[in-house]
Amino acid sequence: MSTLQTLVDAVALGSLYALVAMGIALIFGVMRLVNFAHGELLTAGAYALFLTNDLPLAVSIVVLFATVAAFALAMETAVRPLRTASPAAMLVTTFAISFLLQSVFLLVWGSQGDNAGILPELNRAVDVGGLRIRWVTIASIGVGALLLAGTALLLNRTTIGLQMRAAAHDFQTARLLGVRANNVIRFAFLLAAVLAATATLMLVVQRPLVTPTFGFAVVIPALVGVVVGGLDRLTSATLGGFAIGFGTSVLGDVLPADGRVFLPSVVFALVILVLLLRPSGLFTRARAAAERV
Amino acid sequence: MRRLAGLSELAGPVLLLVLVAVLGSLASRSIQVEFRSALVSATIVIALYVFIGNSGVVSFGHVSFVAVGAFAAGLVTVPEALKLSASPELYPFIASAEVGNAASLAIAAAVGGVYAFLVGVPLMRLSGLAAGIATFAVLEITHNVLRNWPKIGPGAKTLPLVPETSSFLQVTLGAVAVAAIAFAYQRSRPGRLLRAAREDPAAAQGSGVNIHRQRLLAFTLSGALAGFGGGLLVHLLGSITTEQVYIDLAFITLAMLIVGGMSSLWGAVVGALLVSGLNSFLAEAERGLGSVDLPTGTRLVTLGFLMAATLLFRPAGLTGGRELQLRKALARFPEKWGKERPA
Amino acid sequence: MSGAPAPLLEVEGLEVRYGRVPAVRGLSLAAERGEVVALVGPNGAGKSTTLHAIMGLVPPSGGDVRLHGRSTVGLAPEAVARSGIALVPEGRHVFPHFTVEENLRLGLVARRAKDGAHEDLRRVYELFPVVEEFRGRPAGLLSGGQQQQLAIARGLVAHPDVLLLDEPSLGLAPSLVDTVFDTLAEVRSQGVAVVLVEQRAQLAIGFADRAHVIANGELRLTLGPEQADDTALLTQAYFG
Repeated sequence: MSTLQTLVDAVALGSLYALVAMGIALIFGVMRLVNFAHGELLTAGAYALFLTNDLPLAVSIVVLFATVAAFALAMETAVRPLRTASPAAMLVTTFAISFLLQSVFLLVWGSQGDNAGILPELNRAVDVGGLRIRWVTIASIGVGALLLAGTALLLNRTTIGLQMRAAAHDFQTARLLGVRANNVIRFAFLLAAVLAATATLMLVVQRPLVTPTFGFAVVIPALVGVVVGGLDRLTSATLGGFAIGFGTSVLGDVLPADGRVFLPSVVFALVILVLLLRPSGLFTRARAAAERV
Repeated sequence: MRRLAGLSELAGPVLLLVLVAVLGSLASRSIQVEFRSALVSATIVIALYVFIGNSGVVSFGHVSFVAVGAFAAGLVTVPEALKLSASPELYPFIASAEVGNAASLAIAAAVGGVYAFLVGVPLMRLSGLAAGIATFAVLEITHNVLRNWPKIGPGAKTLPLVPETSSFLQVTLGAVAVAAIAFAYQRSRPGRLLRAAREDPAAAQGSGVNIHRQRLLAFTLSGALAGFGGGLLVHLLGSITTEQVYIDLAFITLAMLIVGGMSSLWGAVVGALLVSGLNSFLAEAERGLGSVDLPTGTRLVTLGFLMAATLLFRPAGLTGGRELQLRKALARFPEKWGKERPA
Repeated sequence: MSGAPAPLLEVEGLEVRYGRVPAVRGLSLAAERGEVVALVGPNGAGKSTTLHAIMGLVPPSGGDVRLHGRSTVGLAPEAVARSGIALVPEGRHVFPHFTVEENLRLGLVARRAKDGAHEDLRRVYELFPVVEEFRGRPAGLLSGGQQQQLAIARGLVAHPDVLLLDEPSLGLAPSLVDTVFDTLAEVRSQGVAVVLVEQRAQLAIGFADRAHVIANGELRLTLGPEQADDTALLTQAYFG
């Protein structure tokens, strides 16, 4: 596999993880909530695609977005009691919600997995300057970049974006200025839902088998990427998500075949290293960490 | 006199453990294993509590220590020939090791403790979210390595034919011993220093408490106790796979601690036994229990719901994180018989 | 009492506790259009708490807060802001990474009338030339005094009926304090009711139409501007 091929694939995976990471970071920004259950948004979307398999593509996609949005809003309502909890308590609680949802999916659909094959044409490869690149890879990069740019634009150029950024920085003062807390939080969840649904679509094209742990498997590295990148700022968190996706992909290609099974260990060992050396995140400007103790 | 008065806080958990053991030994043979399993769970949850309850730092990775303890105890009690036929690449010192039951438990505790110490030296500097993520990373690494390194264990295969020595006597003694150690620790000076640091880290540091060292001590002790629990576990099951000591167990033991009440020994024991009982009941119901026949998967959903609901609506757990003051609890009984409550 | 129009802002028998500790006990005050009411007193007397209770940041355990005769108790802070009360918090709390202009745009969020925003923006730029000068720069680059002006400007663009200020002179050089109070005089003349919590008692008492001395959560004394120099009376009220 050529270097360029590896890089392209890595950028594609990085883009998808960046979408998920951005969703996690958006919610963290306005709520200070680290949502372990974010992956279940992806799983719900994937099952929605499975259920609408026989329907026209457009319908499938609409149902996908509607389902993920509904789940996101339900989650927002469920986690309201957590608004004043400590970060660790939030992590454990959303972990419990994640486990609960996974169990529900398991109960309803079993562990074998269902085929949500969608847009199989995207898996075909096209010849680009000597490389064989799948359409879905190009789509992932393109759609990913578009959404990331679109979200950045939304946040920086619109009033609601201004309100969200304000709430993320200083929630109480934002409220004093009339920013409606509940609306801002709900909007963040909806935005995260759009990003998650898009990531789901791209992922299902490549991995059509949907299991109860579909989303969990993605959100763990994405969450790790967010914390490693730097939870406090949207750009650093998204970059962290991208880095994890990119790094995992590269390492997967670069490691010798028998070493590949240890890929998770390598990645997680690197994560621990980063947490020890730069606890506020890789991509943040070195700031005094509030939690020095 | 104060020491005796404090001992009543240990009496509650110990009595409950013994009660469960006695009830279990009187139950029918088919469900006796559920009782013993509950006691092993209690041991693991108490180990978890020793660190989380006293430091206030949530660790997702403690099951790593249960895992290494279980595999260690299992590997040293399975005959060499059997080990080599299942895992031909084992390191000779592991393959040739063959010890008795008690020694295997001691080895399990030692391995758990050493591993916890090595992990704890770097990790105990972290708090809150970073600690949660880092300990989760440790869990993933442990699982990944155990599953894919054929030189130290059976890898993805089951380690079979481990002597099933976890009788009622063994698991009860084990659980009570671990409870006593946990109690002794939380009453000791290091334990109280760590609890103080949990309440107010800045003040504690200002008073000269070396938080990193205290956390490391608790982490190591907790790792050793968890390893011991792993030893009890493998001798209960008679076999072990990496999946049995991975995320599901991590989730369930954390759930048990939280539902019971994270900050007290009583909470750890109550949570473990109650949730264990519920878990067993639901597992039986899924298999068809008299008139109750639940679809497969209900058990996990119920447990997940229970944990989520507790965390959302009663985060201090069933016991509110308080120890059971046995004397006070007993003193309240006269009220029920219409006598005056003591002043 | 019937027939007399309700005061613009009225606080009646306000009680606030933090846990079991009472911070404000039975405080009553009122402010009308174009009036400045000052709250002075020793540290920890409950002055800031009173402003926070008016804004809905802390729930009162007793008493009432009324705007235009209607109770605002139980409303979320953003709802209170949107009904026409603006708070300039202690420590200013500008958003340092946002530009000055973005900070002001945030102030517009609570406006009740959507049109007229341009007018109000123009007016605050006139009142605070330094704010206009730094329009496109990050607010974090401004000095403490300039940030204080920005914070007041931000409160004003919402076109509030009532402006609450929590320690506006804190940390400011005397000349800047004069500028701030000159601006407040301008605000008063535009018909806004102002409630001012101030450490600098004499300055506040001399400036306000009415000054309430609050100590230990209670109203001790009400003074007019002519009594600003009566230090004996003041000391008695503070510590008596």
